[in-house]
Amino acid sequence: MRAGPGWLARPPPRRRRGATAGGAAVWLLAPGGLLTLTVIVVPFVVALVMSLLDLDQYTFRQWLSAPFVGAGNYVEAVGRTSLPHAIWVSGSAAVIATLLALPLGVAAALTTHLPFRGRSLVRSLYLIPYVLPAFVVGTIWRIILQPDGVANQGLATLGIAGGLWLNGPKSYLALIVVQAWSGWPLVYLLALAGLQGIDDSLHEAAALDGAQWRAKLRHVILPLLRPPVALAAIISLLHMVNSFTLPFVLFGVPSPHDVEVLPVLTYVESFQNLRFGLSAAMAVISLVLILVPLLVYLRTVRLDEPEATA
Amino acid sequence: MNSVLRLLPRPLQIGLTVFLLTIVGAPVGYVFLASVNTDLAVAAGEFWPERVSVGNYVRIWSTVPLGRGLANSLLVAGTVAVTCAAVAVFSAYVLVRHRFRGRRTVLRALLGMQSIPGTLLLLPVFVLFATIGSSLGVPTIGTRWSLVVTYLTFGLPFSTWIMVTYLRELPGELIEAARVDGAGSWQILLRVVIPLSWPGLVVAAIFAFLLGWNDVLFASVMTDVDTRTAAVVLQVFGAAQEGGAIPPYGQMMAAALVCAAPVVALYLAFQRYIVSGLTAGGVK
Repeated sequence: MRAGPGWLARPPPRRRRGATAGGAAVWLLAPGGLLTLTVIVVPFVVALVMSLLDLDQYTFRQWLSAPFVGAGNYVEAVGRTSLPHAIWVSGSAAVIATLLALPLGVAAALTTHLPFRGRSLVRSLYLIPYVLPAFVVGTIWRIILQPDGVANQGLATLGIAGGLWLNGPKSYLALIVVQAWSGWPLVYLLALAGLQGIDDSLHEAAALDGAQWRAKLRHVILPLLRPPVALAAIISLLHMVNSFTLPFVLFGVPSPHDVEVLPVLTYVESFQNLRFGLSAAMAVISLVLILVPLLVYLRTVRLDEPEATA
Repeated sequence: MNSVLRLLPRPLQIGLTVFLLTIVGAPVGYVFLASVNTDLAVAAGEFWPERVSVGNYVRIWSTVPLGRGLANSLLVAGTVAVTCAAVAVFSAYVLVRHRFRGRRTVLRALLGMQSIPGTLLLLPVFVLFATIGSSLGVPTIGTRWSLVVTYLTFGLPFSTWIMVTYLRELPGELIEAARVDGAGSWQILLRVVIPLSWPGLVVAAIFAFLLGWNDVLFASVMTDVDTRTAAVVLQVFGAAQEGGAIPPYGQMMAAALVCAAPVVALYLAFQRYIVSGLTAGGVK
């Protein structure tokens, strides 16, 4: 089970390997390819160039003739900005939020695997946090977590003083909770697809062996769910590390130091501090950082026919 | 049969379901309640409204330019959706039905591109548009079409990937049969493939639409007061409340729900297709 139900259903079309397509057919790739090239590859190269220039609001207009500073921006970003802190915040919050989302998602998949009355409604409701746009999620949690907001009123009835959630050290917790809240349905979806790919005979075999639900879950079901859940974990990590909108809307800018995540720092550095070269260097560094989970992801997803994927 | 397939004992199953529904339902339910409550009561953390009033849903339209924002979002995201789906079906067809050098690299790139941090491309895209604008003398930054072009290129890789996962499940015999009947590539595509791949096209279009509808990063720097999308209108509305006397929280909740409504409606209408698209690509 790699990515999606029914991936074993169809025998791969046996076409002549190595045979090149007619020129006309490959031309159909041109419109998409050209567009992608102009707005992804060209800007990527521009970003690399900019990260080597001393680019600020004065040199911005003639950006190609801005002074070349080599690795200067990178040295400054790592040594004299809060970049290392931002990397730590983004990375650790993403890991913790993903770890929170995994059990929730798997539990949700287990509860809706078998049909029951109202199952389709429950399934729809489970997906709501994921379906809501990040700017909506950020807006509603921003109001819920206000100092006098409903979250603290609720905590107060339990005798807990909530305090500040959008500022100060506890904002880090708020970031994790909201990210996990909006992220767990993705785990649920992939885990559910995995569950439904498990053959009934395995359930029967477990029943014949007299396995109780606990033993069956632990020794049969959960090991089989490992690949889809691992895929979900990687996607969720990539998602959360790259997440700009949620922290941006939830905490606003300038963001509190404790939740100054990498994308927001990069954004502020260019569009508020107008240090464009420095910001470009930060962006390139963030790409390098996500390269590791990204490569793992690209190896995990089924690209092609089943047997063609390593 | 049910007892064999059962994963959890009944009480645990019910307990877990209730727990998960509470996690989802408590915040979402509260938003509904807050949206019909007074601004003052929401700011004071009141859960159940003492007096229910739909006034917030009337007032938001004059408090912030939400109507114009929604119209801009609809125009931009709609254009992106239609274009993405139309272009993606061609690219995907070639990628699925033809073997050529670099094909797997293209497939990998389609997936990889979705994970490129938006912040990496934001500044160069901004600069390129500004440069094009000043050298050709056409307005770019602040226009809707510059936003459309930007989203297109982010949307295309994913739409193409969705179409690839869809088209490769189409039975090859149909295409072979058409070929035997003497149909050329174009005819096969227009007469056989596209009519059969409507569900895939719908999913590809929806994801492209969501990309445009949900974005704040690009829209926040590439729009002006008149071309702001709903996402930016709401974000600015929220950020502008800092330090205000009575923050219009009830109205913000109403506005948030209005912005979410089209997305949730789309999702409910096409839930089955969307879920299959999500699990196939695995990325929002």
